[in-house]
Amino acid sequence: MESEVVRTEMVLPLALPFKKVQMADKYPKGQSRGRQWKHLRLLLQAADASSMPPDRPNYLNIQSPPSIYPPKRYCDITGFEAPYVDPRTKLRYADPEVFKQIRMLHDDYVQRYLALRNASTPLK
Amino acid sequence: MPPVTRPRRQDDFARFPSSTPIVIDNGASTFRIGWAGESEPRVAFRNIVQRPRHRSTGETVSIVGDTDPALMKFFDCTRSAIRSPFDDDVVYQFEYMEYILDYGFDRLGANSEVGHPILMTECECNPSFSRARMAELLFETYGVPSIAFGIDNAFSYKYNQKLGNCGEDGLAISCEHGTCHVVPFLKGQPVLGGCCRTNVGGFHITDFLRQLLSLKHPYHMASITWEKAEELKKEHCYIALDYMSELQLFKNNKEEAEEKTRYWQLPWVPPPKEEPPSEEELARKAALKEKAGQRLREMAAAKRSQKIVELEKKVSYLEELMEQLDEAEESEATAILGRSGYLSQQEIRSAISKATQSLRKAKGESNGNEEKTDASAADKYPLVSVPDENLTPEQLKEKKKQILLKTTTEGKLRAKQRRAEEEALREKQEEQRRAENPELYLEELRARYSELSERSEQRKRQKVNGGQTNGNHSSSSGVGRGERLNAAQKERMRLLASAAFDRGKGEDTFGMRDEDWLVYNKMSKDNDDDGNDDEESELVRIASKLQEIDPTFVSKPETVQPTPEPPKVRPLTAEDYRIAIGIERFRCPEVLFQPGMIGVDQAGIDEMVSISLRRLMEDESVKERLCQSILVTGGSSLFPGMIPRLESGIQQYRPYPARLKLVRAADPILDAWRGAAAFAASSKFGKQTFSLADYREHGENLFHRHNIVYSL
Repeated sequence: MESEVVRTEMVLPLALPFKKVQMADKYPKGQSRGRQWKHLRLLLQAADASSMPPDRPNYLNIQSPPSIYPPKRYCDITGFEAPYVDPRTKLRYADPEVFKQIRMLHDDYVQRYLALRNASTPLK
Repeated sequence: MPPVTRPRRQDDFARFPSSTPIVIDNGASTFRIGWAGESEPRVAFRNIVQRPRHRSTGETVSIVGDTDPALMKFFDCTRSAIRSPFDDDVVYQFEYMEYILDYGFDRLGANSEVGHPILMTECECNPSFSRARMAELLFETYGVPSIAFGIDNAFSYKYNQKLGNCGEDGLAISCEHGTCHVVPFLKGQPVLGGCCRTNVGGFHITDFLRQLLSLKHPYHMASITWEKAEELKKEHCYIALDYMSELQLFKNNKEEAEEKTRYWQLPWVPPPKEEPPSEEELARKAALKEKAGQRLREMAAAKRSQKIVELEKKVSYLEELMEQLDEAEESEATAILGRSGYLSQQEIRSAISKATQSLRKAKGESNGNEEKTDASAADKYPLVSVPDENLTPEQLKEKKKQILLKTTTEGKLRAKQRRAEEEALREKQEEQRRAENPELYLEELRARYSELSERSEQRKRQKVNGGQTNGNHSSSSGVGRGERLNAAQKERMRLLASAAFDRGKGEDTFGMRDEDWLVYNKMSKDNDDDGNDDEESELVRIASKLQEIDPTFVSKPETVQPTPEPPKVRPLTAEDYRIAIGIERFRCPEVLFQPGMIGVDQAGIDEMVSISLRRLMEDESVKERLCQSILVTGGSSLFPGMIPRLESGIQQYRPYPARLKLVRAADPILDAWRGAAAFAASSKFGKQTFSLADYREHGENLFHRHNIVYSL
């Protein structure tokens, strides 16, 4: 290791004296590839339903519901209020200038703009 | 960017008695660890892990927290992303959590064992599996005697309650890293049933800003890093009091909008200016060129003279040899020949003629080769005129060859002559016609010329445009897949395709007939020009004639394909390296109020207050009381304009006239840890914890019930 790296002590030591089980014993080398952490949503689904009585607050039911007001529509490019939607790209736009711009956009960029508001259609 | 400071390892770990709890604020963005009763956490770092490969040793190492980019050159980070153990606000990746805890305890100075009770913060209604895994990790890996979990926002509220910022009953609005929460408090205890969470937080703001900027400036995408976006967000973003009117302000391009726009200048070095070379420089270059040319010329001259000398020597030697041979006897001659390396006298003679010719060439004289061959036609075919009887069979063969050669050359000559005669005749006829009716003749000539030139032009166009003959001379002249091909090209494609298709199909009879091979002729690309040459030459002839007799004739200039002007490359200026942050300054933080902007279909933080109050089954008077003590905390509440906007937002959802009192926490970032440290320092803290024995007895069920009492 380079001296400046050692001096900053940025690299975690492989074995720490205060631990009862060392990292290397717990997660043997070479097995990390197959090890996958389930995503939170899956873990929540897997959790026993009976352990979460509906009348008691739990992680899922404290979520906010959708707003009572309809969401406002904003231009995907400029951020201004968008009265129009391009039927081809499905992008929202504020004025004809922006429309010209979005018709010139590469499809890749269209998808990235749509992905900003979770509206992209991934091609598989 | 602010310099990255790595936390120093504390050296007073041993001084603390084992009853002193360690307090950990395990926030999704920052991990803070310290001792109960102290006012500041000892160590704080970003709650991330990366596992790059060390370049020189090839080991995979673990690095926790922010790193100095200057030191990252020693590591190969291509295959390791920056990881967080959090999903939203719940710890779910306990391998990464372990690295972070390792680093946290190590920095705190732990030597042989951790051995202290732990108070760790968590989110509201943390799922029990996450609690269980965390407890398991702390008990089994670190040997912690006892643990308590508490809600970070509750600690923050309690701490500010102690400071007098908020009352016993109130609301905490917390804008965190991955989520926003509203928690009502009654008698100093959080009411989880009235909690409300929206999955939008500071992370989403930074990400939105980064994405918007990199979409707007695709060329600078590499410069727009996460860290930079985070820095820009902290420095420049604000919350608009009225989003719609702020948008209008920017839309109408008011001067105010210009004033509110910030610019980020990327490092830019102006390209070196190309100065036109001075006179001197030009003269110097010309002199150099001249000098080099002179040298080359001299070298060539020297070479030539040397060659001339050599050739002269050779010729004189050969002539001498000939003389010797002429004078010598038969037997001697063979000896001389053997010595010279030539086989016969004739060979020497030809060598002489060759040498003299090249000598002439070298001396720059014209070689009279042409006339000589003509003149020597007779002695070129010496056997032709000799009767067959006088010849040996070998000579006979030779004679046949010579006859063949002679007839072909003669035939060629005759054809040439005939053509010349025909040409002359035609010329004469034309002359006659011209004399008879000059007007008509000129007219005819012109018509023919225009026809021919039109045809040749069309051919050229076809060649270039692949048969776009419909007069549509668009700029797309490349023969792409969709372009139409001309007839010849189509035919070639068809032949190639059928040839490829026929291969290996049935009996192959190709080549049985000689005509089969003609197909290759058709396939080859070169035959495009066949038959055009005649027309071309005709065209040239007519043009020259017209030029002679028609003073008004202007030969059509060679059609030059209009080469498109090369796109003017505008030299890049500093402005191209300037990133404007105008509307983004308030557009990005707005996602807290309108999560729909980034596709999260949940209520914004102002509406969350009313949702939370609705969930709280209490009287209107209680709700009103709660609204008198609203604490705003969390790192994302630091945006300027947050409090006024929240106030006006909440007003909309409350019966008019709502009396609201909003206070920002004393330190929205550190208050959770401070509250937790104060809580852990209380003498009654021990009753709130659970031990390894409790855990073994109750298992995971323990965590459903584990809710600490915050008012001690």
